[in-house]
Amino acid sequence: MHGPQPLVALLAAGLALAAAAAAAEMPPDPPAVSKECGEARIGDKPLPNSAAALQKRKQVKILAIGSSSTAVLGTTGRSGRPPLLESILERTIKGLDVEIINRGFSGELAEAASERIKIEVALNQPDIVLWQVGTNDALAHVPVDSFNLSVASTVKWLQDHNIDVILVGLHYNKQAGKDPHYQAIRESLRRIATEQNVLRIGRYEAMEVLARTSAGSGRPEVEDFGLSEAGFNCMAQYIARTITVGLFAKPPKQTPTPPAPPAPDAK
Amino acid sequence: MPRGANAVDFWRGFALVSIFINHVPGIYFERFTHRNLSISDSAELFVFLAGWSLGLLVKSSKTGNGAAPLAFRLGGRSVQIYAAHILISGLALALLAGAAQLTENALILEWHNAAAFFQDPARTQMGIVLLTHQLGYFDILPLYVVLMLVAPAFVIIDRFAKPLLVPLSLALYFASLTVPFTAPAWPVEGQWFFNPFTWQAIFVLGFVLSRDEGLGRIVRCNIKTIRYVAAPLVATAAVLVWFNWFPDPTRLPEPKLLFLNGKSFLTPMRLLQFLALAAVFSAAYPAIARFLPWLTEPMSLLGRNSLYVFCVGSLMSLAGQIIRSLYAGSIAVDTVVVIGGVALLWLTAWMSEWRLRLGHKG
Repeated sequence: MHGPQPLVALLAAGLALAAAAAAAEMPPDPPAVSKECGEARIGDKPLPNSAAALQKRKQVKILAIGSSSTAVLGTTGRSGRPPLLESILERTIKGLDVEIINRGFSGELAEAASERIKIEVALNQPDIVLWQVGTNDALAHVPVDSFNLSVASTVKWLQDHNIDVILVGLHYNKQAGKDPHYQAIRESLRRIATEQNVLRIGRYEAMEVLARTSAGSGRPEVEDFGLSEAGFNCMAQYIARTITVGLFAKPPKQTPTPPAPPAPDAK
Repeated sequence: MPRGANAVDFWRGFALVSIFINHVPGIYFERFTHRNLSISDSAELFVFLAGWSLGLLVKSSKTGNGAAPLAFRLGGRSVQIYAAHILISGLALALLAGAAQLTENALILEWHNAAAFFQDPARTQMGIVLLTHQLGYFDILPLYVVLMLVAPAFVIIDRFAKPLLVPLSLALYFASLTVPFTAPAWPVEGQWFFNPFTWQAIFVLGFVLSRDEGLGRIVRCNIKTIRYVAAPLVATAAVLVWFNWFPDPTRLPEPKLLFLNGKSFLTPMRLLQFLALAAVFSAAYPAIARFLPWLTEPMSLLGRNSLYVFCVGSLMSLAGQIIRSLYAGSIAVDTVVVIGGVALLWLTAWMSEWRLRLGHKG
């Protein structure tokens, strides 16, 4: 005897499949950032090349370069575990394989990193370049024009090669607020990110807010926090959130330009 | 008595002064060093001349008691360089820590790959001792340590299977570029700045070309013809560097390291341009000695005492960076840094020879 049960089971299975398929289509919730990390400005710009890599091969290759890589990847602990950034991304986006190529070098200046970026891109073909830049150029008093030229030309080169770029901005500390050169380099980086439409993690701004809100709270000095394991892990959380948002963000709609009115003499 | 001024010591002194200036990034005077018109820079010159000096040492000890004493001597030299490297790395970390304390700016602790030491001192200290963690601009001596450790093998091959030395060295060089492989860094993930598997080639070439036999003899006999070929190469390279006309590395054929311009791997483009540069400028020393005698003696003094001068120069470069950071680099500050630094390099070399002279008198 065929009762209604098989039909119900079939229906249930169909519904479950449909739900799974819908869930697969749904973008995952971006990973949260801990409260103690303050509030960095996180853009919602899409990362189209990495999104394509995710669709095609379920893998995203990230080249971490520039200043101290620990500061942007998060700590690994002592057991050879993957960096925090990789774990968060793989946990958040089911089935994603994240490969991080770590070529960070603490204290590196933008010009030196620019040269290395091209070589590393040629050798490793990353989807995203995560470039921590600016602090050391500011401290070394690299002229703003030279800094601007190095960073802007490299960002353009990366974009021309279909590689997504995330710039991680300058550190914050009290002296930096009073140093006009430091502020000029910071402004130059902000302008490059805006003009070239690339993501920038506003670390300085986040730490500045954190400094204001935590003043007198008995917590460690914010500048010390920025260079501590907890601070690095915060940066990894910000970047994981930025990448997740960028991977599933819809590209801005192209508003079709209205057809030009016919010229008066056109018949 | 120290030897008189000569081309090898002069060019080594020249390399040391250039390295000192180039290691203060952003300094006004870096635009006058030869790397602005050359694909290779002073690092290639320094390592090539280290190989050349090894050749001279082997030549002078040929009448000695064979390979074993020479191997011990080279091993001793390697230990001496290692000790110097550990000492200056410790001093550099102290300089950074002192500057950070003085300015109350912890960001200085991030400079030159030093961050790992201050964040994870236990493992990084082991890395420093094992040479797997190197501070930025303090990374050429670890290469030199390894090359001097392996030098007895070079000497033995040269003595017993001379025609094999260059082919073996080049085979390792091309294997490292093609596979590719290099020496890893630890505890920070990464690699040595100077890949010892490729940089050994320029050391071996310096060693072989210093000799009056084999390849060295062939080059000496044909140096005029070689210069005719080398001069246009040097000129072309100068134009390429000046206008930054290098091919896009992503469009190069595989294996890419054979075709791109990379210092860490001493790619063929850099090696060839350096050899051409050396061939052309090897003709310049007699003219320099004749028309600029006031320059040859102090430069040779630096070159004769290269290890001490290199160590002091590395620390002076770092001090120069700190000074520039404190006093906002300007031409006046940069001039003080360069003149003060070069004067200290000269004083270091002079004191080293003065000490020797005292020893002789005693």
